[in-house]
Amino acid sequence: MAGIYVHIPFCRQKCTYCDFTSFPNRLAFAEAYMACLYKELEMRGKELEKAKKDVVFDTVYFGGGTPSVIDPKLIYGAMNQIKQHFALSKDPEITIEMNPGTVSEQKIETYLKAGIDRFSIGLQTAIDAQLENLGRIHHVRDYLYCTSLLKGQNFSADVMLGLKGQTKEDVEKTIKIAAASGASHISMYALTPEDGTPIYTDYLNGELPSPDEVASLYDFGRELLKTEGFSRYEVSNFAKKGKESRHNLNYWRRGEYLGFGVSASSFFFGRRFTNTFDLDEYMKCVISGFYPVIESEEVAEQDAKFEMLMLALRTSEGISSRKYREVFQSDWKEDFKEAYQKTKKYLHEAGDRTSIKDEFLYVQNQILTEYME
Amino acid sequence: MAKPDRNLRNFCIIAHIDHGKSTLADRIMELTGQVSKRDMEEQLLDSMDIERERGITIKLAPVRMYYTALDGQEYELNLIDTPGHVDFTYEVSRSLAACEGALLVVDATQGVEAQTLANVYLALENDLEIVPVINKIDLQSARIDEAKKEIEDVIGLDTEGCPCVSAKEGTNIRDVLEAVVNRIPPPDGDTDAPLRALIFDSYYDNYKGVILFLRVKDGTVKTGDKIKAALGEKVYEVTEVGAFAPYLQPKTRLVAGEVGYLAASIKSIEDVSVGDTVIDAAFPDTVPLPGYKKVQPVVFCGIFPLDGSKFLDLKDAIAKLKLNDAALTFEPDNSVALGFGFRCGFLGLLHMEIIQERIEREFNLDIITTAPSVSYLVHKTDGTLLHVDNPSHLPPVSEIDYMEEPIVKTEIYSPPEYMGSIMDLCRDKRGTFRNMSYLDANRVKIEYSLPLNEIVYDFFDEIKSRTKGYASFDYEIEGYEKSRLVRMDILLNGEICDALSTIVHEDRAYVRGRTLCENLKDAIPRQLFEVPVQAAIGGKIIARETVKAVRKDVLAKCYGGDITRKKKLLEKQKEGKKRMRKIGTVEVPSEVFMEILKTNRDK
Repeated sequence: MAGIYVHIPFCRQKCTYCDFTSFPNRLAFAEAYMACLYKELEMRGKELEKAKKDVVFDTVYFGGGTPSVIDPKLIYGAMNQIKQHFALSKDPEITIEMNPGTVSEQKIETYLKAGIDRFSIGLQTAIDAQLENLGRIHHVRDYLYCTSLLKGQNFSADVMLGLKGQTKEDVEKTIKIAAASGASHISMYALTPEDGTPIYTDYLNGELPSPDEVASLYDFGRELLKTEGFSRYEVSNFAKKGKESRHNLNYWRRGEYLGFGVSASSFFFGRRFTNTFDLDEYMKCVISGFYPVIESEEVAEQDAKFEMLMLALRTSEGISSRKYREVFQSDWKEDFKEAYQKTKKYLHEAGDRTSIKDEFLYVQNQILTEYME
Repeated sequence: MAKPDRNLRNFCIIAHIDHGKSTLADRIMELTGQVSKRDMEEQLLDSMDIERERGITIKLAPVRMYYTALDGQEYELNLIDTPGHVDFTYEVSRSLAACEGALLVVDATQGVEAQTLANVYLALENDLEIVPVINKIDLQSARIDEAKKEIEDVIGLDTEGCPCVSAKEGTNIRDVLEAVVNRIPPPDGDTDAPLRALIFDSYYDNYKGVILFLRVKDGTVKTGDKIKAALGEKVYEVTEVGAFAPYLQPKTRLVAGEVGYLAASIKSIEDVSVGDTVIDAAFPDTVPLPGYKKVQPVVFCGIFPLDGSKFLDLKDAIAKLKLNDAALTFEPDNSVALGFGFRCGFLGLLHMEIIQERIEREFNLDIITTAPSVSYLVHKTDGTLLHVDNPSHLPPVSEIDYMEEPIVKTEIYSPPEYMGSIMDLCRDKRGTFRNMSYLDANRVKIEYSLPLNEIVYDFFDEIKSRTKGYASFDYEIEGYEKSRLVRMDILLNGEICDALSTIVHEDRAYVRGRTLCENLKDAIPRQLFEVPVQAAIGGKIIARETVKAVRKDVLAKCYGGDITRKKKLLEKQKEGKKRMRKIGTVEVPSEVFMEILKTNRDK
């Protein structure tokens, strides 16, 4: 099984923490861009066909930027293109990210028609002042309106930790609102202040909660989510039973995926490759019939082995010895013997599977680095 | 008996750091046409990078020049550069032995400094003619008359007609050369006598073998001569002799009175030691020249490769530095925490720092150094006596009768307003007051006896910060004194880290232990588990801090597009970890081993 990722690099305004590829002032290009994206989908699809690669795609994910900011017909068109050029599984998971400030009944209707069956809503926090500080265009009431339109649908809410002035009470309110709104899945991310983003200034001035404080908020949030019926299945992801994101699980299981659009990454044919981050260059390339790939590397075996561990150990299901052996014809506990012995006390073993003990998941870098050369 | 050339002058320059010695040397070379200005690198004599960066001279660098004086005659001048810092007194004494005179450079804005004095006295002991030169007269704050008066009062030298120059601007440089010619006597000696040449320095050259720096006192030496070192056994055939121009310039012979170099396919620096006398192999009974007082290292520290597999590279590096640095001592050392390395002895803290820096720069090695220590005398209960400079080698308390520590006589020169602060510091450092005198209205000399181990700790920094940098000081070993000393160990997660053990005075142990634990707590990164940091004497814990377990160390997001980038972040983190040492179960960055030097004030 494989996944398809589609990047929509447009948004109304850039959030203060955002370092993704998005272009706040170029919405007018959306149509032209999507036309190129259709072409890229077609090129890749034909290539697979020619190579007689019988790959079944189980998930599609529209991410951004803000996919919900563009005309929903363009999303519909992309789905048509995908269905035409790729073999989708019988019951694919098709997700779109939405900003609560950009939704309408008509949009959701079109998405549903396109086959989208999962929505990821960027709530971030239920405190309006914090939303403003993040540069978000929505308010809490927009989220409530948005989720009211999604009644009966499968949707996820994003929640952020480590915001300026954020308290446990704020986190509590946010999670409770997310849970009450009917979300079946909650992603709870610690804000990562990246150099070059406006929020980095807050970080430099010591205005953001310290790592210890974030850890406290996280522990608190994790407990609350548990009581609300969400179990952690990855460092930052919590879901009701059976509602885990299949698309994301595929990444952590080191499954194949194809990325389309500007800055999108792929892992396919044993290679990791990435499209250009430049919108104009992307369009020029595709129009001229070239792949807009700027970086492509074959993953060496030792790297591949480490990758599998690094990704799997993010999840509660952990690493499967059987699956590792199928891929590499070796035993990971042998391949990483020294590191394994050293870190054993932090690992939870259950038959074929090994995962990081709950209490150490949030300090896992300390463990993972032991597995590096 | 034939006398050496009457038109020959061998001299050196004595000056305090940044009083302008190297600049003056450059000007002299320029004026004598030794080096064209265009070719001249700034401060030619200081050829090592570190020397040029720090503006100090460490290695001796001789240079030969020709000068036509106002009397119409041409003179050959040999300038032998000297290091300015107190740590290198030994090197200074070597260059002095090769000269008949010395220029004493005094900064017109600063006056005579303590460190300069030590060298002046050395020069006087060696019967050198001392010519004062007042420098930096171009500066607004220059106080030429006061500087002259100070020279007369403090040193007792006549400053009548002494050259007043600006080396920077090249003013009155000819006066200096005239003074060299007129006031410094030509060399003494007998050109017909059997060869006697003092080795005042040496270095190893990959092609020619050891190059000896010589001052020929008697006789001559030329290519093909059979020579030997007075204290050595081996006989060598001279392959090359020459002068310093300032680069090696071969010539046919070196005659009594001259300064130059000699190569004789000598394989190792150890075969012919600095301070020895080169003699004619045909006259093995020639009486050697008086050598130098063999210096003893006073400061010691462990040097270990950061990467344990680089031990042999480190050995090679230290051995190479030793080739040109007679004062450096080293022997293999082994630490549980740091693995294999060397215990090195130095003339002082600056010497230590410079050696550390040279190892890192010139040999591109990352090293870990342990806290500096001094050499203690340990009287054991069985009546035997031990010299211990490595805290881990201290015998168990039950076997120690008593211990003695080295005491230094310290002279501190300072403007009077800082006197109280300096005396507080000295008292703090277990000092004993000896004397105090006003040199003039603006300078006071304070004398204390201080334990050397207090000086190597943070005395330098303290005195500078307490006097805003105005005070200068000098010290010399006075002797040993009985003292209540103990070994303080540091335990990380319950395990002793031998590289952090120190020998301290009993009364200071508690404060030192607490400060060190506090500093270590901040320097040790948080790990998956809580790490107690304890200071202990014997089995008794005297201070404790805790490095809390890390709570968040995770990549918040890792999706399709992130994988490569996040992997790189982890790799970076791994690199940092690789630079750490494992003490039991605790990972410790190498800088931690220098934490012991930091004081409360640094925080």
